[in-house]
Amino acid sequence: MSDNLSELLGRKGVEESLFDKLGQLAKLEGTPTEEAIQEMASTFLIGKANAFGTTSFYDFLKPENKGKKVYVCNGTACVCAGTQKNVIRTLKNHFDSKEIGHMTCLGRCHENSAFHYNGKNYSGSALRKLENIIDTENDLNKDFYNVKALDKAILTEEFTSISEYYQPFLEVLKQDSLAVLEEIKTSNIRGRGGAGFPMGLKLEFCRNVKNDTKFIICNADEGDPGAYSDRYLLEQRPHSVLFGMLISGYVTHASYGIVYIRAEYPESVKVIQKAIDDLLAVGLIGENIKGSGFNFKFKIIQAQGSYICGEETALINSIEGQRPEVRIRPPFPAQKGLFNKPTTVNNVETLAALHFIIKNGGAAWKSMGTERSSGTKLVCLDSYFNKPGMYEVEMGTPLSTVINELGGGFASSVKAVQIGGPLGGLVPVEKIEALAIDFESFSKEGFLLGHASIVCVPSDFPIMKFIEHLFDFASYESCGKCFPCRLGTKRGHELSSKALNSDYKIDRKLFTDLLTTLEQGSLCAHGGGIPLPVRNAMQYFESELKQYFN
Amino acid sequence: MKTAYIDNQEFEIVEGESILAFIKRYKEKNLVPTLCDAPNLEAFGACRVCSVEVALEENGTVKTMASCHTPVAANQYIYTSTESVKALRKNIIELVLTDHPLDCLTCEVNGNCELQTVAAQVGIREVRYPEGDTHLYKMKDLSHPYMTSDLSKCINCYRCVRACDEVQGEFVLSMSGRGFDTTIIKGFDQSFMDSDCVSCGACSQACPTSAISDIFQSKAIEATESTRTICTYCGVGCNLEVATSNGEILSITAPYDAEVNQGHTCLKGRYAFKFYNHPDRLDSPMIKRNGEFEKVSWDEVYEYITSKLTSYKEEFGPDSMAGISSSRCTNEENYLMQKFFRTVLSTNNIDGCARVCHSPTALGMQRTFGTGAATNSIDDLKDTNCIMVIGANPTSGHPVTGAKLKQFAMKSDNVSIVIDPRRTELAKYATHHLALRPGTNVAVLNMMMYYIITEGLADTEFIASRTEGFETYKAELLAIDLTQIEEVSGLDREQVKAAAIAYATAANAMSFHGLGVTEHSLGTFTVMQIADLALLTGNIGRRGVGVNPLRGQNNVQGSADMGVQPHQGAGYLDITKEEVNKTYTEFYGVEVPREIGYKIPEMFDAALEGKLKSIWIIGEDVVQTDPNTKKVIKALEATELVIVQELFMTETAKYADVILPGASFLEKSGTFTNGERRVQAVRQVVNPIHGCKPDGQIIVEIMNKMGYPQPDYTPDGMLEEISQIVPFFAGITWDRLGKNGLQWPVAKDGTDTQILHKEEFKRGKGYFEFNPWRETEELVSHALEYPYILTTNRELEHYNCGAMTRRTANEELLKDDYLMINPEDAQDHFIKEDDYLCLESPRGKVDVRARITDEVNPGVLSTTFHFPEIMINNITGDVHDSEAMCPEYKVVAVRIRKSKGKFKEKKNLSVTTG
Repeated sequence: MSDNLSELLGRKGVEESLFDKLGQLAKLEGTPTEEAIQEMASTFLIGKANAFGTTSFYDFLKPENKGKKVYVCNGTACVCAGTQKNVIRTLKNHFDSKEIGHMTCLGRCHENSAFHYNGKNYSGSALRKLENIIDTENDLNKDFYNVKALDKAILTEEFTSISEYYQPFLEVLKQDSLAVLEEIKTSNIRGRGGAGFPMGLKLEFCRNVKNDTKFIICNADEGDPGAYSDRYLLEQRPHSVLFGMLISGYVTHASYGIVYIRAEYPESVKVIQKAIDDLLAVGLIGENIKGSGFNFKFKIIQAQGSYICGEETALINSIEGQRPEVRIRPPFPAQKGLFNKPTTVNNVETLAALHFIIKNGGAAWKSMGTERSSGTKLVCLDSYFNKPGMYEVEMGTPLSTVINELGGGFASSVKAVQIGGPLGGLVPVEKIEALAIDFESFSKEGFLLGHASIVCVPSDFPIMKFIEHLFDFASYESCGKCFPCRLGTKRGHELSSKALNSDYKIDRKLFTDLLTTLEQGSLCAHGGGIPLPVRNAMQYFESELKQYFN
Repeated sequence: MKTAYIDNQEFEIVEGESILAFIKRYKEKNLVPTLCDAPNLEAFGACRVCSVEVALEENGTVKTMASCHTPVAANQYIYTSTESVKALRKNIIELVLTDHPLDCLTCEVNGNCELQTVAAQVGIREVRYPEGDTHLYKMKDLSHPYMTSDLSKCINCYRCVRACDEVQGEFVLSMSGRGFDTTIIKGFDQSFMDSDCVSCGACSQACPTSAISDIFQSKAIEATESTRTICTYCGVGCNLEVATSNGEILSITAPYDAEVNQGHTCLKGRYAFKFYNHPDRLDSPMIKRNGEFEKVSWDEVYEYITSKLTSYKEEFGPDSMAGISSSRCTNEENYLMQKFFRTVLSTNNIDGCARVCHSPTALGMQRTFGTGAATNSIDDLKDTNCIMVIGANPTSGHPVTGAKLKQFAMKSDNVSIVIDPRRTELAKYATHHLALRPGTNVAVLNMMMYYIITEGLADTEFIASRTEGFETYKAELLAIDLTQIEEVSGLDREQVKAAAIAYATAANAMSFHGLGVTEHSLGTFTVMQIADLALLTGNIGRRGVGVNPLRGQNNVQGSADMGVQPHQGAGYLDITKEEVNKTYTEFYGVEVPREIGYKIPEMFDAALEGKLKSIWIIGEDVVQTDPNTKKVIKALEATELVIVQELFMTETAKYADVILPGASFLEKSGTFTNGERRVQAVRQVVNPIHGCKPDGQIIVEIMNKMGYPQPDYTPDGMLEEISQIVPFFAGITWDRLGKNGLQWPVAKDGTDTQILHKEEFKRGKGYFEFNPWRETEELVSHALEYPYILTTNRELEHYNCGAMTRRTANEELLKDDYLMINPEDAQDHFIKEDDYLCLESPRGKVDVRARITDEVNPGVLSTTFHFPEIMINNITGDVHDSEAMCPEYKVVAVRIRKSKGKFKEKKNLSVTTG
């Protein structure tokens, strides 16, 4: 975090973003040339080291990415499904190994065998048709998953038309923005990104800071393996996201909306851009929208491959073109966010909920779900279920209902499920009955709801290997700023790997010290969160793990 | 009163402070250890070692928080040393040590390593982790003459990266990669030498280990003594902490408690000290006999000088002798030099280097305000909304202030206006850059004031109550020809108007100016206009505003304060006035003269006319640095007795008849006065090298020899004398100066002054005077034949004539003078980068290496005079400021062509023969 860099990089506004430009410059060879980086540095009046430092951070900008042509998914669901060795083997028939890279979770958890080639994601049986994919136009990137609402379809409601969908927005433009904010607060909607912070309060903080320039950011970079609900909303219900951002802008007096979309979701970028163009065509965005005096513009920023950018302050740094290292709080983004201006960052699913709240009133949302967890929630199920797919359920719905009724139960033997991404808890199957889709039951049982997506750990998958995968992921994606996470995730990975692959026994005290250090010491939830599933594993799979410890 | 609890003990909190700052205020400094925190950097939150536990009630449920960036809140219970938080710290340090070479005993910072200290404090006894990946393979970077790195010792605290950003604003350092692979980079992961590093050393000082250091190993604890003194290299007046052992200087750092520089300084202050015992140092008095210098004893040289001066005085009168004192010397030495001339020799022919730099500032500001010194302090930058920097390149000339200005300019809420022909470093970041043609400051400033009045932005209340002369001024100003100004300045009127409005509408606007204002034929008028601009907008007399000249040499303010001027004695008293004359005569005990003496250029003219028999020059290389070198040389040749008191055999010293070996700032005590009127204590660090004497002592001894009873040179004794005659020094004593000095005027009781002209001006009312723009005579006479304008500038690495900096490793960083030329002009003359081109003016020719850059506009060239090999002053001219006689270094009519390369060959030869 550098105040100076935020200022300098903000001078050209969000329209001309260093990060965006670096992405463009990397397209040709997989990484920008040194000359191009130097030119960027002098254009933005920053150091070469800054521009190079940013470039070197991202999977798809860094020099090592030069020449990569195809990327294999190594997200948790694909790893647990065990499909990726075959993917690599098959790809090697067509590509040099130097041309094969990795992407972490392409959102194809329901089909696996996922890989990315030439701006498109493929999964399931596509691998078998590689000849038809390489260097040819094709539509083999399509995937299939079930989408169903247990009760009423809210987030998954059919989209009709722009004019009908945006009618509530036109109504809002006639209202006092404070009244609109009150509706949101009444709904008690809590952030769907993992932390569960009340959205109304977040918007209010930003609203209360005086500044001519404010930003609304949609965090479409939550790359938690197992969760493809964001991808669903971006690609299938793009207007729900844009609508939510417009409302957020209206209540906070922000006039810029930035959709920061994962590099791993190239199709989402196209869909959202089209939706923005459609809104522009009918005058629902731009200057003085429908004569209301409210201005709002959208800009898509395409991420470049870094899980930590899902953390809101890292995301802000990323958009600025700084290295996406986590910032200290305070100052909170509402006080000092993008380019040091007041900023609100919300998750895709949270924003998507605003349409229902605005249309039907906050109380209608509040009336669904439980006391402290209102509304509905999207839950993604991976390929180990009989009916993989994305389901919308009211908060408070028993987990077993989701797994058994909606998912049709497990297709093969499963010993645990990880819910809420790599930082979410590892729930042994016997604990499923104790949980419901809400913040409270998860917290009570020592797990974390997160975004509530479910990845299965098959019975024959060694838990130690799962731990090693978690640490590998955590270490690879650590931003490297705080000592506990930078060093601790690395050592955690080394310890688990050594124990798994040799007769080395981990000192149990050392291991628990490491977990405590990560939990208590880390700057953000990345390092702070990884011990949860590891501790769950140690608690519930002690018999399987004890051979690795002394 | 809001309070919180540290380990269940109640203390008052300050709203907004961090828990760490709160704890540090009441408990011992190291109660809570830290690694990434540093006194001059923003909180960062990387190391987490400063974690504490916080509860909302006594012994309640705790949350672990990093104390450095968590604000303290009322009624918090903060636990600094619970078992769990101690374990956390220990476990973090253990992780750090898994990637650190445990070679403490042979490490240069052994005993002064923050990691070592914290590891000991948290009680590390073993590293339990098995061997894993490390960065121990990282190679040392020894590419640079000063900076070194050994990143195997890096703990990734980012302090260096943040210092480079938050303190220096240079962005040379960053991180590359991510996670465990994150590592410090310089530029594109280059060496220090290949990067854009400006060698300020902020990173080295910030680094808690020896991952980044310097060749002097400034963090090593070998030194037995440390002396706090003041830098000699510019008017910023950085405080330095000089480490010595056995009378030898080991290294220099910058103290964090220095009000001037807050732990920062530049490569000159921090690293360029090795000149002090360079083999080239003059180590004996010498007399030139038959064209050769002969070493003589002090007695002999004193005898020689005394007899000569006595005979000149008797035979040709006192005014046949003149003196040029040195702004590199202390106040006390300057005071002595002018006293010697006025009392012993009975002449006012005493002047100093201010003549060739800021004499128009002193005169212009005296005319408008009544005091010829900065109205405010650099610290006021914290309270200003707008800076106007005109004719100054502070990131090179005044690096520490320059860095602060750059920090200011980078913030988007701040307004910065740069008026300079060159696109200086600061101009790149400025809101408004008026790249005017050299020599048109007056025109552009008039235009700015025109718009301030016509836009209705003048502060009428301030004008009515605090100023005089406005109505006449306004009438004349409104008659200026805007079209003509656009033509001569090359600026669009809208651009000038925008800058004017920005300055006038800022809540607080502060101006800074340098030699780009003063070294012009209309220098004094330009200074008066800058002062008028402040009057016009009411930007004077409070914090965050004012007119702030960036004084050049370290003690140029002080030398004028002490009376090194031919028209004013110590304390700026007008020597022509009877009552003043009486005061001086009574105080000095001898009759002092009342006629205004020669200014420096007049001294040379007098010499050429045969009227000057003797000139005594201390620490000023007039041959290399005064304009029109050939004329200066002729003047020295025409003077019978040229006494040069110096550290080195400078170009001027070569023309001396008598050489007196003086002492550098590191070898004597006294005071320097910086550009914000701050009188600071210079403390002797080492003894003068063998054969040399403190310059003040030399003058005292001559005075005694010539019959004036002046006590030996001591800083406290001298200050006692000075405080009795210089009114604004009334309350200054050696003991009162303390660590951070005092800003004059200092009242008898020791109260000093940060801001001048608060209630009323020194002269009563602020004075408006309109002065029209005129083309300089240099261009009127020569522009047709010599169509390019050469202007002169300074480089960060060198100081003035370079006599000191060229005898340090700074020379490895910048080896020669070069000429900046616009790509268009270069193309017109078929000049490529590094080609030598011949610069020709009506005075002569020089060959200089070309650097092609759009920092200068077409038609404008710029170069430096740090190196005697080039002697750029062979071509600078005789035009002077109309009022103060400051030479016009900034506008020289020249023509250019590609050089035939003679000079280049010579240069190469001199390189190969060492």
